[in-house]
Amino acid sequence: MMHIALLGNPNTGKTSLFNNLTGSYEYVGNWSGVTVEKKVGALKNKTGQLIDLPGIYTLNPLSKDEGVVSNFFLHDSFDGIVNIVDASQLERNLVLTLQLLEFGKPIILGLNMTDVAKSRGIYINEQKLSAALQVPVVPIVARTGQGCNLLNEQLFSLQSKKQAPLVLDYGVALEKGIAQLIAAMPQELTEHLPPRWLALQFFEGNKNVWEHLSSFMGDDALTKIYEETKTNVQKEENADTLSQRIYRVRRTYIQAIVEQAVDQQTAGAATLTDRIDAIVTNKVFGLPIFLLCMLLLFKLTFDWLGTPLSDLLDAFFSGPLTDWLAFVLGKAGASSFIQSLVLDGIVAGVGGVLVFMPQIFILFFFISLLEDSGYMARVALVMDKIMESVGLNGKVFIPMIIGFGCNVPGIMAARTIEQPKERLLTILLTPLMSCSARLPVYALFVGAFFVEYQTIVVFSLYLLGIAMALLLAKLFSMTILKEEQSVFVIELPPYRLPQSKALFRSTWDKGKGFIKKAGTFIFGGSVIIWLLTYAGPQGLNVDMDNSFLAAIGGWVAPLLAPLGFGTWQAGAALITGFLAKEVVVSSMNIIYHVPDVDSLQGLMATEFTPLSAFTFMVFVLLYVPCLATVGTIRKETGSAKWTYFSIVYALILAYSLSFIIYQGGKLLGF
Amino acid sequence: MVLSELGRGEKAKIVDLSNIDQMVKRRLLDFGIMEGIEVQLKQRMPFKGPFMLDYCGQCLGIRHQEAARIEIKRV
Repeated sequence: MMHIALLGNPNTGKTSLFNNLTGSYEYVGNWSGVTVEKKVGALKNKTGQLIDLPGIYTLNPLSKDEGVVSNFFLHDSFDGIVNIVDASQLERNLVLTLQLLEFGKPIILGLNMTDVAKSRGIYINEQKLSAALQVPVVPIVARTGQGCNLLNEQLFSLQSKKQAPLVLDYGVALEKGIAQLIAAMPQELTEHLPPRWLALQFFEGNKNVWEHLSSFMGDDALTKIYEETKTNVQKEENADTLSQRIYRVRRTYIQAIVEQAVDQQTAGAATLTDRIDAIVTNKVFGLPIFLLCMLLLFKLTFDWLGTPLSDLLDAFFSGPLTDWLAFVLGKAGASSFIQSLVLDGIVAGVGGVLVFMPQIFILFFFISLLEDSGYMARVALVMDKIMESVGLNGKVFIPMIIGFGCNVPGIMAARTIEQPKERLLTILLTPLMSCSARLPVYALFVGAFFVEYQTIVVFSLYLLGIAMALLLAKLFSMTILKEEQSVFVIELPPYRLPQSKALFRSTWDKGKGFIKKAGTFIFGGSVIIWLLTYAGPQGLNVDMDNSFLAAIGGWVAPLLAPLGFGTWQAGAALITGFLAKEVVVSSMNIIYHVPDVDSLQGLMATEFTPLSAFTFMVFVLLYVPCLATVGTIRKETGSAKWTYFSIVYALILAYSLSFIIYQGGKLLGF
Repeated sequence: MVLSELGRGEKAKIVDLSNIDQMVKRRLLDFGIMEGIEVQLKQRMPFKGPFMLDYCGQCLGIRHQEAARIEIKRV
């Protein structure tokens, strides 16, 4: 079994190529850092596995996701590399290629975006490039899959090839340091990893390599060699720092290659990207355009498309499906316990959430569209000034928008943020982004109380989440996390028309998590909730007000009374909502025991007022991250303290804000 | 003069990058931006917001405060 690593700069079509070579689907996005974890797929030709790694400009990591690649080279074994290279930015891309060549594993170069290059007057001679680098070069169009078959064929022979590490001359002083370091390396280190590559990465300042070496050789020996070499190199011509010297030598080598293999003609007129950018990053209209896009997104998700579809689904669940299930259960002679469990527990609980599938899928579709088109990076640019004022940078907005779909990938995407402080803040605040799981709750309540103003009410909740995140960012960066300076550099990739296939797959990939959740958490939660309503201290099949669930909900009800929803039903729904926020809706369906969403909404009108309904939605938006999100926060921060912090601050925030809204609203006469 | 003084559409040669944040400098180097190369200012956001630069057909955004520390020579 071959293990092939896929490497390349961000935004070069790496994940598209991965999809083409493996046939399986992976998440594709048009902004730096979509692949924040390494992903593995089976190659189409069944000869091995392809490992998709985060996009990097160089092996020396600056952010957490870039460190993943260094660690992969240090700790994982693999047989070869596919290096995808953006033809329109050849010089920049070859910097990484040289470092891969220095590692000495067999490599195939996939030359992507030759069409973009040609439109800018850059013509690359593949034969000459291949001869100069001494590796096979295959021109591809990763988006359409053109040339990928050829690359696949080349992969067959990759394993049998021997590739000697590339050796460049880095000058007398540095070469002396390299030799010295290699001589000091113990054998158990050098039998797994190429010593010269290790030495070069070390001198370049790769922290992960430093740590790895130091676990074998100790810090003192390393520091001594490093300092000596640094001083010696500085005495030489140019007075370079170590990383400057290494970069300069590589760059000179690349320029020689480019001179041989590239024919550069004068570029044409302004590209389409330039013209679009003139509008969407316009001084005056940039921000309004973004807000308009978001509003349009919500209009489509709720009013124009989502709700009508959702109504159809609801009619199907409560009508034909329930009738059919009742018929089958009756025929099979199921006991009344089983009948009630299936119809009142599972159909009400799981069906009540699945009804909102259309809204959730439409939302995911638009998030995928934002990612694939390249607009996301512009949003980061437009938002930077606002984010800077609260101690963050514009890039933070990307995890937050992803968080609108689901908080879990949003928090993972925070890995691309370079500054540790900004990354931590992003992790802590992304749960305030109103994820799709909260949508069913809103849909249920706005349908009951705010039919006329659906979009506006839901939009206000999303904005409230963002506003709270910004406010708390300011607060946290002024108090508990004030030591670091915020920085911002972002690549704005050319716009690309999203491929419909990739777009639908990406939507499905995100949405299937929701369906999976319906089959696991929501299913399990519904069964438990139903059992708790069925059983009580007095026995089984009790009146619901005497059930265990009523008792549990009753404990928290007095606490919630000042917020306007001090019933055991609301309390119970909120407690179970920790499993997953959709479970709030499942609980309500089971508790109020109604056949469809319409009658549930009718019933709720007697339990809530519009004001308390709005307050309830605000509370659900903010109160605690769901179980999966808490798990991800724990994993990504690696700290129990910050995990508890994320729960506690959210509870305090939810409670105080709901209190202000409800009590304030009452004073104003709502 | 410094980069932040450049007008929209104007081109300049970078003279000195040593005053900017180390992390920003490293990132700019990843894009191939260093002393001696030529950039074009494509767009600037209002209220001292970020700058959009073009270098060899790649577009990137940096902050005003960083641009104000990059020494340039107008071309």
